[in-house]
Amino acid sequence: MGFTIAEKILGRTTGEPPVRAGENHAVRPDRMIAYDFPGYTDVMFRQMREDFGITELEDPSRYVVFIDHMLTKDDEREAQVHQVTRDWCEFYGIELHEAQGIGHQLTAELGLATPGDFLVHFDGHISGVGAFNALGWGIRKDLIEAWVSGQVYVDIPATTRFDLVGEFPEGVDSRDLVHTIIELVGADGCAHQVMEFGGPGARSMAVDHRQGLCGMAMFTGAVSAIFEPDDVSTAYARDVARHAFDPVYPDDDAVYAARHTIDLSTLVPRVVRPGSARVANTSTVAEMTGTPITRAFIGSCASGRIEDLRAAALVLDGQTVSPSVELNVVPTSKKVFAQAEEEGILDVLRNAGATIAMSSCDFCFGYQQPLQPDENCISTGVLNITGRMGSPDANIFMGSPYTVAASAITGTISGATK
Amino acid sequence: MSAYPPPPDVIAGRVAWIFGDDFDIDLVVGVANIKSYDPEHLRSVCMSAYDPGFADRVRPGDVIVGGRNFGYGHPHYPPMVALRNAGVAAIVAESFSPGFWRGETFNGMPLITIEGITDAVSVHDEITLDWRSATLRTADGTQIVGNPPNPRTVAIIEAGGSYELLLAEHAPAHA
Repeated sequence: MGFTIAEKILGRTTGEPPVRAGENHAVRPDRMIAYDFPGYTDVMFRQMREDFGITELEDPSRYVVFIDHMLTKDDEREAQVHQVTRDWCEFYGIELHEAQGIGHQLTAELGLATPGDFLVHFDGHISGVGAFNALGWGIRKDLIEAWVSGQVYVDIPATTRFDLVGEFPEGVDSRDLVHTIIELVGADGCAHQVMEFGGPGARSMAVDHRQGLCGMAMFTGAVSAIFEPDDVSTAYARDVARHAFDPVYPDDDAVYAARHTIDLSTLVPRVVRPGSARVANTSTVAEMTGTPITRAFIGSCASGRIEDLRAAALVLDGQTVSPSVELNVVPTSKKVFAQAEEEGILDVLRNAGATIAMSSCDFCFGYQQPLQPDENCISTGVLNITGRMGSPDANIFMGSPYTVAASAITGTISGATK
Repeated sequence: MSAYPPPPDVIAGRVAWIFGDDFDIDLVVGVANIKSYDPEHLRSVCMSAYDPGFADRVRPGDVIVGGRNFGYGHPHYPPMVALRNAGVAAIVAESFSPGFWRGETFNGMPLITIEGITDAVSVHDEITLDWRSATLRTADGTQIVGNPPNPRTVAIIEAGGSYELLLAEHAPAHA
Protein backbone atom coordinates (compact mmCIF):
# COMPACT_ATOMS: atom_id res chain seq x y z
CA MET A 1 0.00 0.00 0.00
CA GLY A 2 1.13 3.52 -0.76
CA PHE A 3 2.04 6.48 1.39
CA THR A 4 0.54 9.85 2.22
CA ILE A 5 2.39 13.14 1.77
CA ALA A 6 3.02 13.37 5.53
CA GLU A 7 4.42 9.84 5.72
CA LYS A 8 6.76 10.57 2.82
CA ILE A 9 8.01 13.91 4.19
CA LEU A 10 8.52 12.56 7.71
CA GLY A 11 10.08 9.40 6.31
CA ARG A 12 12.75 11.50 4.62
CA THR A 13 13.68 13.03 7.97
CA THR A 14 14.38 9.78 9.79
CA GLY A 15 17.20 8.67 7.55
CA GLU A 16 15.46 5.29 7.49
CA PRO A 17 12.34 5.65 5.36
CA PRO A 18 9.63 4.59 4.92
CA VAL A 19 7.52 5.38 7.97
CA ARG A 20 3.90 4.50 8.60
CA ALA A 21 1.16 6.24 10.57
CA GLY A 22 1.13 5.02 14.16
CA GLU A 23 4.87 4.46 14.45
CA ASN A 24 6.96 6.59 16.81
CA HIS A 25 10.12 8.04 15.30
CA ALA A 26 12.75 10.67 15.96
CA VAL A 27 12.37 13.08 13.04
CA ARG A 28 14.86 15.74 12.00
CA PRO A 29 13.22 19.03 10.98
CA ASP A 30 14.64 21.07 8.11
CA ARG A 31 13.91 24.19 10.13
CA MET A 32 13.12 24.84 13.80
CA ILE A 33 11.29 28.13 14.12
CA ALA A 34 10.11 30.33 16.98
CA TYR A 35 8.91 33.83 17.69
CA ASP A 36 10.14 35.49 20.82
CA PHE A 37 7.72 35.34 23.71
CA PRO A 38 8.45 35.63 27.43
CA GLY A 39 8.61 32.23 29.06
CA TYR A 40 9.34 30.49 25.77
CA THR A 41 12.34 31.64 23.74
CA ASP A 42 14.14 33.44 26.56
CA VAL A 43 13.86 30.37 28.78
CA MET A 44 14.83 27.95 25.97
CA PHE A 45 17.94 29.94 25.06
CA ARG A 46 19.02 29.99 28.71
CA GLN A 47 18.35 26.27 29.07
CA MET A 48 20.44 25.48 25.97
CA ARG A 49 23.40 27.33 27.38
CA GLU A 50 23.15 26.67 31.11
CA ASP A 51 21.55 23.21 31.31
CA PHE A 52 22.97 21.63 28.18
CA GLY A 53 26.21 23.56 27.83
CA ILE A 54 25.57 24.35 24.19
CA THR A 55 27.70 27.29 23.11
CA GLU A 56 27.81 26.50 19.42
CA LEU A 57 25.09 25.11 17.16
CA GLU A 58 25.85 22.20 14.88
CA ASP A 59 23.88 23.77 12.03
CA PRO A 60 22.64 27.31 12.79
CA SER A 61 20.88 27.49 9.41
CA ARG A 62 18.15 25.20 10.74
CA TYR A 63 17.19 27.75 13.43
CA VAL A 64 15.04 30.80 12.65
CA VAL A 65 13.54 33.34 15.07
CA PHE A 66 11.01 36.08 14.39
CA ILE A 67 10.18 39.17 16.40
CA ASP A 68 6.55 39.67 15.47
CA HIS A 69 4.72 39.92 18.82
CA MET A 70 4.76 42.86 21.27
CA LEU A 71 5.90 45.50 18.82
CA THR A 72 3.34 48.23 19.23
CA LYS A 73 3.58 49.71 22.74
CA ASP A 74 7.11 51.01 22.33
CA ASP A 75 7.82 50.59 26.03
CA GLU A 76 10.69 49.33 28.17
CA ARG A 77 9.25 45.83 28.61
CA GLU A 78 9.02 45.30 24.87
CA ALA A 79 12.53 46.58 24.41
CA GLN A 80 13.87 44.20 27.06
CA VAL A 81 12.11 41.15 25.63
CA HIS A 82 13.47 41.80 22.17
CA GLN A 83 16.99 42.69 23.30
CA VAL A 84 17.26 39.31 25.00
CA THR A 85 16.28 37.69 21.70
CA ARG A 86 18.75 39.75 19.66
CA ASP A 87 21.57 38.90 22.09
CA TRP A 88 20.90 35.17 22.01
CA CYS A 89 20.48 35.04 18.26
CA GLU A 90 23.77 36.88 17.83
CA PHE A 91 25.46 34.52 20.30
CA TYR A 92 24.31 31.43 18.42
CA GLY A 93 24.39 32.89 14.90
CA ILE A 94 20.66 32.35 14.44
CA GLU A 95 18.78 34.05 11.58
CA LEU A 96 16.54 36.71 13.12
CA HIS A 97 13.85 38.80 11.43
CA GLU A 98 12.43 41.71 13.39
CA ALA A 99 9.27 43.70 12.69
CA GLN A 100 8.95 42.49 9.11
CA GLY A 101 5.54 40.95 9.66
CA ILE A 102 3.98 37.81 11.05
CA GLY A 103 6.52 35.01 11.13
CA HIS A 104 4.24 32.34 9.70
CA GLN A 105 3.92 34.50 6.57
CA LEU A 106 7.60 35.46 6.49
CA THR A 107 8.48 31.77 6.61
CA ALA A 108 6.87 31.50 3.17
CA GLU A 109 8.19 34.81 1.80
CA LEU A 110 11.76 34.06 2.86
CA GLY A 111 11.84 30.68 1.16
CA LEU A 112 11.99 28.76 4.42
CA ALA A 113 9.04 26.53 3.51
CA THR A 114 9.53 24.97 0.11
CA PRO A 115 7.86 21.78 -1.17
CA GLY A 116 8.77 18.68 0.81
CA ASP A 117 10.25 20.57 3.79
CA PHE A 118 9.50 19.68 7.40
CA LEU A 119 9.33 22.56 9.90
CA VAL A 120 8.62 22.71 13.62
CA HIS A 121 7.64 25.64 15.84
CA PHE A 122 6.16 25.83 19.31
CA ASP A 123 3.12 27.56 17.73
CA GLY A 124 0.67 25.32 15.88
CA HIS A 125 -0.23 27.88 13.22
CA ILE A 126 3.04 27.00 11.47
CA SER A 127 0.78 24.48 9.70
CA GLY A 128 -0.01 27.33 7.25
CA VAL A 129 3.12 26.38 5.29
CA GLY A 130 1.17 23.36 4.08
CA ALA A 131 0.04 25.66 1.28
CA PHE A 132 3.50 25.14 -0.23
CA ASN A 133 3.59 21.37 0.21
CA ALA A 134 5.72 21.84 3.34
CA LEU A 135 4.75 20.12 6.59
CA GLY A 136 4.66 22.46 9.61
CA TRP A 137 4.05 21.02 13.07
CA GLY A 138 3.49 22.97 16.31
CA ILE A 139 5.25 20.89 18.97
CA ARG A 140 4.83 23.32 21.88
CA LYS A 141 7.58 23.10 24.51
CA ASP A 142 9.13 20.12 22.71
CA LEU A 143 10.82 22.76 20.58
CA ILE A 144 13.57 22.64 23.20
CA GLU A 145 14.07 18.95 22.34
CA ALA A 146 14.52 19.90 18.68
CA TRP A 147 16.80 22.84 19.52
CA VAL A 148 19.00 20.77 21.79
CA SER A 149 19.12 17.43 19.98
CA GLY A 150 18.34 18.42 16.38
CA GLN A 151 15.45 15.97 16.29
CA VAL A 152 12.12 15.42 17.99
CA TYR A 153 10.14 12.25 18.70
CA VAL A 154 6.67 12.18 17.16
CA ASP A 155 3.94 9.67 16.48
CA ILE A 156 3.71 9.53 12.69
CA PRO A 157 0.21 10.90 12.03
CA ALA A 158 -2.55 9.29 10.02
CA THR A 159 -4.04 11.47 7.27
CA THR A 160 -7.56 12.50 6.31
CA ARG A 161 -7.80 13.32 2.61
CA PHE A 162 -9.98 16.18 1.35
CA ASP A 163 -10.71 16.11 -2.38
CA LEU A 164 -11.81 19.62 -3.31
CA VAL A 165 -13.87 20.24 -6.45
CA GLY A 166 -15.52 23.40 -7.83
CA GLU A 167 -14.52 26.98 -7.07
CA PHE A 168 -15.42 29.47 -4.33
CA PRO A 169 -18.57 31.46 -5.13
CA GLU A 170 -18.25 35.25 -4.95
CA GLY A 171 -17.96 36.42 -1.35
CA VAL A 172 -16.76 33.06 -0.03
CA ASP A 173 -13.19 32.09 0.86
CA SER A 174 -11.01 29.71 2.84
CA ARG A 175 -12.34 30.90 6.21
CA ASP A 176 -15.76 29.70 5.17
CA LEU A 177 -14.19 26.45 3.98
CA VAL A 178 -12.36 25.71 7.21
CA HIS A 179 -15.45 26.28 9.32
CA THR A 180 -17.48 24.13 6.93
CA ILE A 181 -14.91 21.36 7.39
CA ILE A 182 -15.06 21.71 11.20
CA GLU A 183 -18.84 21.35 10.97
CA LEU A 184 -18.40 18.31 8.70
CA VAL A 185 -15.82 16.35 10.70
CA GLY A 186 -16.11 17.85 14.20
CA ALA A 187 -13.67 19.61 16.52
CA ASP A 188 -11.70 16.36 16.84
CA GLY A 189 -12.53 14.90 13.44
CA CYS A 190 -8.88 14.90 12.38
CA ALA A 191 -7.39 14.58 15.87
CA HIS A 192 -3.65 13.78 15.85
CA GLN A 193 -3.80 13.58 12.04
CA VAL A 194 -2.72 15.60 9.01
CA MET A 195 -5.31 17.09 6.64
CA GLU A 196 -4.28 16.52 3.02
CA PHE A 197 -5.87 18.66 0.29
CA GLY A 198 -5.94 17.97 -3.42
CA GLY A 199 -8.16 17.89 -6.46
CA PRO A 200 -9.26 20.53 -8.98
CA GLY A 201 -10.83 22.70 -6.26
CA ALA A 202 -7.51 22.81 -4.41
CA ARG A 203 -5.75 23.84 -7.61
CA SER A 204 -8.29 26.66 -8.08
CA MET A 205 -7.41 28.20 -4.72
CA ALA A 206 -4.99 31.12 -4.47
CA VAL A 207 -1.89 30.46 -2.37
CA ASP A 208 -3.13 32.98 0.21
CA HIS A 209 -6.33 31.01 0.69
CA ARG A 210 -4.39 27.77 1.03
CA GLN A 211 -2.25 29.35 3.76
CA GLY A 212 -5.33 30.57 5.61
CA LEU A 213 -6.90 27.12 5.44
CA CYS A 214 -3.80 25.16 6.52
CA GLY A 215 -3.07 27.61 9.32
CA MET A 216 -6.37 26.74 10.99
CA ALA A 217 -5.81 22.95 10.89
CA MET A 218 -5.67 22.62 14.68
CA PHE A 219 -9.38 23.37 14.99
CA THR A 220 -10.23 19.91 13.64
CA GLY A 221 -7.68 18.47 16.07
CA ALA A 222 -5.17 18.03 13.24
CA VAL A 223 -1.46 18.46 13.91
CA SER A 224 -0.95 19.87 10.43
CA ALA A 225 -2.39 20.29 6.95
CA ILE A 226 -0.79 20.10 3.53
CA PHE A 227 -1.64 20.62 -0.13
CA GLU A 228 -0.54 18.52 -3.03
CA PRO A 229 2.00 20.54 -5.02
CA ASP A 230 0.85 22.18 -8.24
CA ASP A 231 2.04 24.82 -10.70
CA VAL A 232 0.83 27.70 -8.49
CA SER A 233 2.57 26.67 -5.27
CA THR A 234 5.66 25.41 -7.04
CA ALA A 235 6.04 28.69 -8.94
CA TYR A 236 5.81 30.61 -5.64
CA ALA A 237 8.41 28.34 -4.07
CA ARG A 238 10.73 28.61 -7.05
CA ASP A 239 10.76 32.41 -6.74
CA VAL A 240 11.82 32.40 -3.09
CA ALA A 241 13.67 29.10 -2.60
CA ARG A 242 17.17 29.12 -1.14
CA HIS A 243 17.89 25.54 -2.23
CA ALA A 244 16.69 22.95 -4.70
CA PHE A 245 13.47 21.31 -3.51
CA ASP A 246 11.57 18.13 -4.19
CA PRO A 247 7.74 18.27 -4.22
CA VAL A 248 5.94 15.37 -2.57
CA TYR A 249 2.80 13.75 -3.96
CA PRO A 250 0.70 11.08 -2.27
CA ASP A 251 0.62 7.63 -3.79
CA ASP A 252 -2.58 6.68 -5.61
CA ASP A 253 -3.04 3.85 -3.13
CA ALA A 254 -2.06 5.88 -0.04
CA VAL A 255 -3.78 4.73 3.15
CA TYR A 256 -6.11 7.35 4.62
CA ALA A 257 -8.00 7.39 7.90
CA ALA A 258 -10.94 9.02 6.08
CA ARG A 259 -11.68 10.67 2.77
CA HIS A 260 -14.10 13.52 2.01
CA THR A 261 -15.09 15.36 -1.15
CA ILE A 262 -16.11 19.02 -0.80
CA ASP A 263 -17.60 21.10 -3.61
CA LEU A 264 -16.35 24.66 -3.03
CA SER A 265 -19.17 26.07 -5.19
CA THR A 266 -21.75 24.95 -2.61
CA LEU A 267 -20.21 26.83 0.32
CA VAL A 268 -21.94 29.76 2.02
CA PRO A 269 -20.44 32.47 4.28
CA ARG A 270 -19.97 31.35 7.87
CA VAL A 271 -19.63 33.04 11.24
CA VAL A 272 -18.33 31.37 14.38
CA ARG A 273 -19.94 32.48 17.62
CA PRO A 274 -17.82 33.39 20.70
CA GLY A 275 -16.23 30.69 22.82
CA SER A 276 -14.35 28.46 20.39
CA ALA A 277 -14.43 27.19 16.82
CA ARG A 278 -16.31 24.02 17.82
CA VAL A 279 -19.17 22.73 15.72
CA ALA A 280 -21.91 24.02 17.99
CA ASN A 281 -20.61 27.58 17.56
CA THR A 282 -20.54 27.48 13.75
CA SER A 283 -23.37 29.32 12.00
CA THR A 284 -24.11 30.70 8.61
CA VAL A 285 -23.90 34.48 8.25
CA ALA A 286 -27.60 34.37 7.43
CA GLU A 287 -28.36 32.91 10.87
CA MET A 288 -26.34 35.61 12.65
CA THR A 289 -27.30 38.63 10.56
CA GLY A 290 -28.17 41.64 12.66
CA THR A 291 -25.93 40.88 15.66
CA PRO A 292 -24.48 44.28 16.68
CA ILE A 293 -20.70 44.78 16.59
CA THR A 294 -18.41 47.55 17.79
CA ARG A 295 -15.05 46.30 16.53
CA ALA A 296 -13.87 44.65 13.34
CA PHE A 297 -10.44 43.19 12.60
CA ILE A 298 -8.87 41.90 9.39
CA GLY A 299 -5.42 40.41 9.89
CA SER A 300 -3.57 37.54 11.66
CA CYS A 301 -1.58 34.61 10.28
CA ALA A 302 -4.83 33.14 8.90
CA SER A 303 -5.80 36.29 6.98
CA GLY A 304 -4.50 39.77 6.09
CA ARG A 305 -2.76 38.57 2.91
CA ILE A 306 -3.22 40.31 -0.42
CA GLU A 307 -6.25 38.21 -1.42
CA ASP A 308 -7.88 38.98 1.94
CA LEU A 309 -7.22 42.71 1.56
CA ARG A 310 -8.55 42.64 -2.00
CA ALA A 311 -11.73 40.99 -0.69
CA ALA A 312 -12.14 43.68 1.96
CA ALA A 313 -11.52 46.42 -0.60
CA LEU A 314 -14.09 44.91 -2.96
CA VAL A 315 -16.71 45.20 -0.23
CA LEU A 316 -15.62 48.59 1.18
CA ASP A 317 -14.96 50.42 -2.10
CA GLY A 318 -17.05 53.60 -2.01
CA GLN A 319 -18.65 52.58 1.29
CA THR A 320 -18.26 53.97 4.80
CA VAL A 321 -17.53 52.06 7.99
CA SER A 322 -20.36 52.57 10.50
CA PRO A 323 -19.59 55.35 13.02
CA SER A 324 -20.25 52.82 15.78
CA VAL A 325 -17.52 50.48 14.53
CA GLU A 326 -13.71 50.60 14.72
CA LEU A 327 -12.22 48.65 11.80
CA ASN A 328 -8.55 47.73 12.07
CA VAL A 329 -6.68 46.15 9.18
CA VAL A 330 -3.26 44.54 9.59
CA PRO A 331 -1.46 43.43 6.42
CA THR A 332 0.30 40.17 7.29
CA SER A 333 3.78 41.33 6.33
CA LYS A 334 5.60 44.45 5.20
CA LYS A 335 5.75 42.95 1.73
CA VAL A 336 1.97 42.45 1.69
CA PHE A 337 1.59 45.99 3.10
CA ALA A 338 3.67 47.44 0.26
CA GLN A 339 1.84 45.47 -2.41
CA ALA A 340 -1.56 46.53 -1.04
CA GLU A 341 -0.39 50.13 -0.99
CA GLU A 342 0.83 49.87 -4.58
CA GLU A 343 -2.44 48.33 -5.75
CA GLY A 344 -4.40 51.17 -4.08
CA ILE A 345 -6.15 48.71 -1.77
CA LEU A 346 -5.10 50.45 1.43
CA ASP A 347 -6.40 53.80 0.15
CA VAL A 348 -9.76 52.19 -0.54
CA LEU A 349 -9.83 50.85 3.01
CA ARG A 350 -8.65 54.14 4.54
CA ASN A 351 -11.22 56.11 2.56
CA ALA A 352 -13.92 53.82 3.93
CA GLY A 353 -12.76 54.60 7.47
CA ALA A 354 -10.47 51.68 8.29
CA THR A 355 -7.29 52.12 10.30
CA ILE A 356 -4.27 50.36 8.79
CA ALA A 357 -1.83 49.12 11.44
CA MET A 358 1.74 47.86 11.18
CA SER A 359 2.25 44.22 10.33
CA SER A 360 2.42 42.28 13.60
CA CYS A 361 0.57 39.73 15.73
CA ASP A 362 -0.52 42.29 18.29
CA PHE A 363 -4.22 42.76 17.50
CA CYS A 364 -4.85 39.02 17.27
CA PHE A 365 -3.91 38.28 20.89
CA GLY A 366 -5.33 41.41 22.44
CA TYR A 367 -2.06 43.25 23.00
CA GLN A 368 -2.87 46.18 20.74
CA GLN A 369 -6.09 48.06 21.50
CA PRO A 370 -7.63 45.27 23.56
CA LEU A 371 -11.38 44.76 23.51
CA GLN A 372 -13.25 46.44 26.34
CA PRO A 373 -15.98 44.77 28.43
CA ASP A 374 -19.24 44.15 26.54
CA GLU A 375 -17.73 44.86 23.14
CA ASN A 376 -18.60 42.63 20.20
CA CYS A 377 -15.81 42.09 17.69
CA ILE A 378 -15.94 40.34 14.34
CA SER A 379 -12.51 39.09 13.39
CA THR A 380 -10.46 37.15 10.88
CA GLY A 381 -8.12 36.23 13.74
CA VAL A 382 -7.32 32.66 14.59
CA LEU A 383 -9.04 32.28 17.92
CA ASN A 384 -12.26 33.43 19.58
CA ILE A 385 -11.84 32.03 23.08
CA THR A 386 -12.92 34.29 25.91
CA GLY A 387 -10.32 36.93 26.68
CA ARG A 388 -8.25 36.30 23.57
CA MET A 389 -8.44 39.88 22.29
CA GLY A 390 -8.82 41.73 25.59
CA SER A 391 -11.55 41.72 28.21
CA PRO A 392 -13.01 38.32 29.18
CA ASP A 393 -16.36 40.13 29.08
CA ALA A 394 -16.07 40.93 25.36
CA ASN A 395 -17.34 38.66 22.56
CA ILE A 396 -15.35 37.57 19.51
CA PHE A 397 -17.08 36.36 16.36
CA MET A 398 -15.00 35.01 13.48
CA GLY A 399 -15.62 35.24 9.75
CA SER A 400 -14.02 35.84 6.38
CA PRO A 401 -12.65 39.24 5.31
CA TYR A 402 -15.73 39.65 3.11
CA THR A 403 -17.99 39.18 6.12
CA VAL A 404 -15.90 41.35 8.44
CA ALA A 405 -15.83 44.19 5.90
CA ALA A 406 -19.57 43.97 5.23
CA SER A 407 -20.30 43.88 8.95
CA ALA A 408 -18.11 46.95 9.54
CA ILE A 409 -20.31 48.93 7.14
CA THR A 410 -23.63 48.07 8.76
CA GLY A 411 -22.47 47.79 12.38
CA THR A 412 -24.12 44.40 12.56
CA ILE A 413 -23.07 40.95 11.33
CA SER A 414 -23.80 41.05 7.60
CA GLY A 415 -22.99 39.15 4.43
CA ALA A 416 -21.09 40.80 1.60
CA THR A 417 -23.48 42.13 -1.04
CA LYS A 418 -21.10 42.65 -3.90
CA MET B 1 14.99 18.68 38.53
CA SER B 2 11.37 18.01 37.81
CA ALA B 3 8.66 20.13 39.38
CA TYR B 4 6.77 16.91 40.04
CA PRO B 5 8.10 13.43 40.78
CA PRO B 6 7.22 10.59 38.41
CA PRO B 7 3.99 8.76 39.31
CA PRO B 8 4.03 5.40 41.08
CA ASP B 9 3.73 2.31 38.89
CA VAL B 10 0.13 1.94 39.98
CA ILE B 11 -1.77 5.09 40.86
CA ALA B 12 -4.32 4.54 43.62
CA GLY B 13 -6.95 7.16 44.30
CA ARG B 14 -10.46 8.20 43.47
CA VAL B 15 -12.24 9.65 40.48
CA ALA B 16 -12.14 13.31 41.44
CA TRP B 17 -14.30 14.59 38.58
CA ILE B 18 -15.80 13.47 35.26
CA PHE B 19 -15.99 15.87 32.33
CA GLY B 20 -17.84 15.44 29.04
CA ASP B 21 -16.58 15.78 25.46
CA ASP B 22 -14.48 18.72 24.22
CA PHE B 23 -13.64 19.86 27.76
CA ASP B 24 -11.75 23.17 27.66
CA ILE B 25 -8.95 22.93 30.25
CA ASP B 26 -9.10 26.70 30.86
CA LEU B 27 -12.37 26.14 32.70
CA VAL B 28 -10.56 24.42 35.58
CA VAL B 29 -9.48 27.82 36.91
CA GLY B 30 -11.60 30.11 34.73
CA VAL B 31 -10.40 32.38 31.95
CA ALA B 32 -9.74 35.23 34.39
CA ASN B 33 -7.01 33.16 36.08
CA ILE B 34 -5.26 31.49 33.14
CA LYS B 35 -2.27 33.83 33.27
CA SER B 36 -1.59 33.21 36.95
CA TYR B 37 1.36 31.09 38.02
CA ASP B 38 0.81 31.65 41.76
CA PRO B 39 0.31 28.13 43.19
CA GLU B 40 -1.75 29.31 46.16
CA HIS B 41 -4.03 31.42 44.00
CA LEU B 42 -4.50 28.63 41.49
CA ARG B 43 -5.29 26.22 44.31
CA SER B 44 -7.90 28.60 45.71
CA VAL B 45 -9.76 28.88 42.39
CA CYS B 46 -9.23 25.31 41.16
CA MET B 47 -12.58 23.79 40.13
CA SER B 48 -14.42 26.40 42.20
CA ALA B 49 -16.93 26.86 39.38
CA TYR B 50 -17.91 23.21 39.70
CA ASP B 51 -17.42 22.45 43.40
CA PRO B 52 -16.20 25.01 45.96
CA GLY B 53 -15.00 22.15 48.17
CA PHE B 54 -12.96 20.42 45.46
CA ALA B 55 -9.53 21.67 46.51
CA ASP B 56 -10.10 20.48 50.08
CA ARG B 57 -11.61 17.16 49.03
CA VAL B 58 -9.15 16.01 46.37
CA ARG B 59 -6.31 13.73 47.56
CA PRO B 60 -2.96 12.71 46.12
CA GLY B 61 -3.50 9.91 43.62
CA ASP B 62 -6.93 11.05 42.50
CA VAL B 63 -7.61 11.08 38.77
CA ILE B 64 -9.71 13.24 36.49
CA VAL B 65 -11.86 11.46 33.91
CA GLY B 66 -12.77 13.05 30.60
CA GLY B 67 -14.76 12.36 27.47
CA ARG B 68 -13.62 12.73 23.88
CA ASN B 69 -11.12 15.40 22.91
CA PHE B 70 -10.23 16.32 26.49
CA GLY B 71 -8.29 19.61 26.61
CA TYR B 72 -9.90 21.12 23.52
CA GLY B 73 -9.28 24.84 23.13
CA HIS B 74 -6.17 26.80 23.97
CA PRO B 75 -4.21 24.54 26.32
CA HIS B 76 -2.74 26.99 28.79
CA TYR B 77 -0.54 25.45 31.47
CA PRO B 78 -1.77 27.04 34.76
CA PRO B 79 -5.02 25.00 34.98
CA MET B 80 -2.99 21.80 35.04
CA VAL B 81 -0.61 23.32 37.59
CA ALA B 82 -3.68 23.87 39.76
CA LEU B 83 -4.86 20.26 39.36
CA ARG B 84 -1.36 18.88 39.96
CA ASN B 85 -0.92 20.94 43.10
CA ALA B 86 -4.30 19.70 44.29
CA GLY B 87 -3.00 16.13 44.04
CA VAL B 88 -4.39 14.91 40.72
CA ALA B 89 -2.03 12.18 39.50
CA ALA B 90 -3.39 11.32 36.06
CA ILE B 91 -6.12 12.04 33.55
CA VAL B 92 -8.00 9.21 31.90
CA ALA B 93 -10.13 10.16 28.91
CA GLU B 94 -11.88 8.74 25.88
CA SER B 95 -9.39 10.77 23.79
CA PHE B 96 -7.21 13.86 24.14
CA SER B 97 -6.86 17.05 22.15
CA PRO B 98 -3.40 16.99 20.48
CA GLY B 99 -2.15 20.33 21.83
CA PHE B 100 -3.13 19.48 25.38
CA TRP B 101 -1.71 15.96 25.03
CA ARG B 102 1.64 17.23 23.81
CA GLY B 103 1.90 20.01 26.38
CA GLU B 104 1.03 17.94 29.43
CA THR B 105 2.97 14.87 28.32
CA PHE B 106 5.95 17.24 28.17
CA ASN B 107 5.22 18.01 31.81
CA GLY B 108 5.19 14.32 32.71
CA MET B 109 1.49 13.95 33.45
CA PRO B 110 0.12 10.49 32.56
CA LEU B 111 -2.67 11.08 30.02
CA ILE B 112 -4.23 7.68 29.45
CA THR B 113 -6.73 6.91 26.72
CA ILE B 114 -9.39 4.37 27.68
CA GLU B 115 -12.47 4.17 25.48
CA GLY B 116 -15.70 3.82 27.45
CA ILE B 117 -14.18 5.27 30.63
CA THR B 118 -16.88 7.89 31.19
CA ASP B 119 -19.58 5.21 31.42
CA ALA B 120 -17.43 2.84 33.44
CA VAL B 121 -16.82 4.98 36.52
CA SER B 122 -18.57 7.51 38.75
CA VAL B 123 -17.23 10.44 40.76
CA HIS B 124 -15.67 9.28 44.06
CA ASP B 125 -15.13 5.69 42.82
CA GLU B 126 -11.98 4.17 44.26
CA ILE B 127 -9.72 3.11 41.39
CA THR B 128 -6.24 1.92 40.64
CA LEU B 129 -4.54 2.83 37.38
CA ASP B 130 -1.58 0.96 35.91
CA TRP B 131 -0.67 3.80 33.57
CA ARG B 132 1.90 1.83 31.56
CA SER B 133 -0.64 -0.77 30.48
CA ALA B 134 -3.59 1.68 30.45
CA THR B 135 -5.44 -0.63 32.82
CA LEU B 136 -7.93 0.84 35.27
CA ARG B 137 -9.47 -1.30 37.99
CA THR B 138 -12.50 -0.19 39.96
CA ALA B 139 -13.18 -0.99 43.62
CA ASP B 140 -15.33 -4.02 42.70
CA GLY B 141 -12.53 -5.49 40.60
CA THR B 142 -13.87 -4.52 37.20
CA GLN B 143 -10.97 -3.99 34.81
CA ILE B 144 -11.06 -1.73 31.78
CA VAL B 145 -8.13 -1.51 29.40
CA GLY B 146 -7.26 1.27 26.98
CA ASN B 147 -4.38 2.14 24.66
CA PRO B 148 -1.01 1.95 26.41
CA PRO B 149 1.39 4.86 25.84
CA ASN B 150 4.26 4.16 23.45
CA PRO B 151 7.77 3.48 24.82
CA ARG B 152 8.95 7.07 24.29
CA THR B 153 5.97 8.45 26.21
CA VAL B 154 6.55 5.91 28.98
CA ALA B 155 10.17 7.08 29.19
CA ILE B 156 9.00 10.72 29.43
CA ILE B 157 6.58 9.94 32.27
CA GLU B 158 9.17 7.82 34.08
CA ALA B 159 11.66 10.69 33.85
CA GLY B 160 9.18 13.17 35.31
CA GLY B 161 8.72 15.00 32.01
CA SER B 162 10.32 15.57 28.63
CA TYR B 163 12.77 18.12 29.91
CA GLU B 164 14.14 15.75 32.54
CA LEU B 165 14.46 13.02 29.89
CA LEU B 166 16.25 15.46 27.59
CA LEU B 167 18.66 16.36 30.40
CA ALA B 168 19.36 12.69 31.02
CA GLU B 169 20.01 12.09 27.32
CA HIS B 170 21.96 15.21 26.37
CA ALA B 171 23.45 16.75 29.50
CA PRO B 172 25.70 14.15 31.12
CA ALA B 173 26.25 16.31 34.18
CA HIS B 174 22.57 15.97 34.99
CA ALA B 175 22.25 12.26 34.21
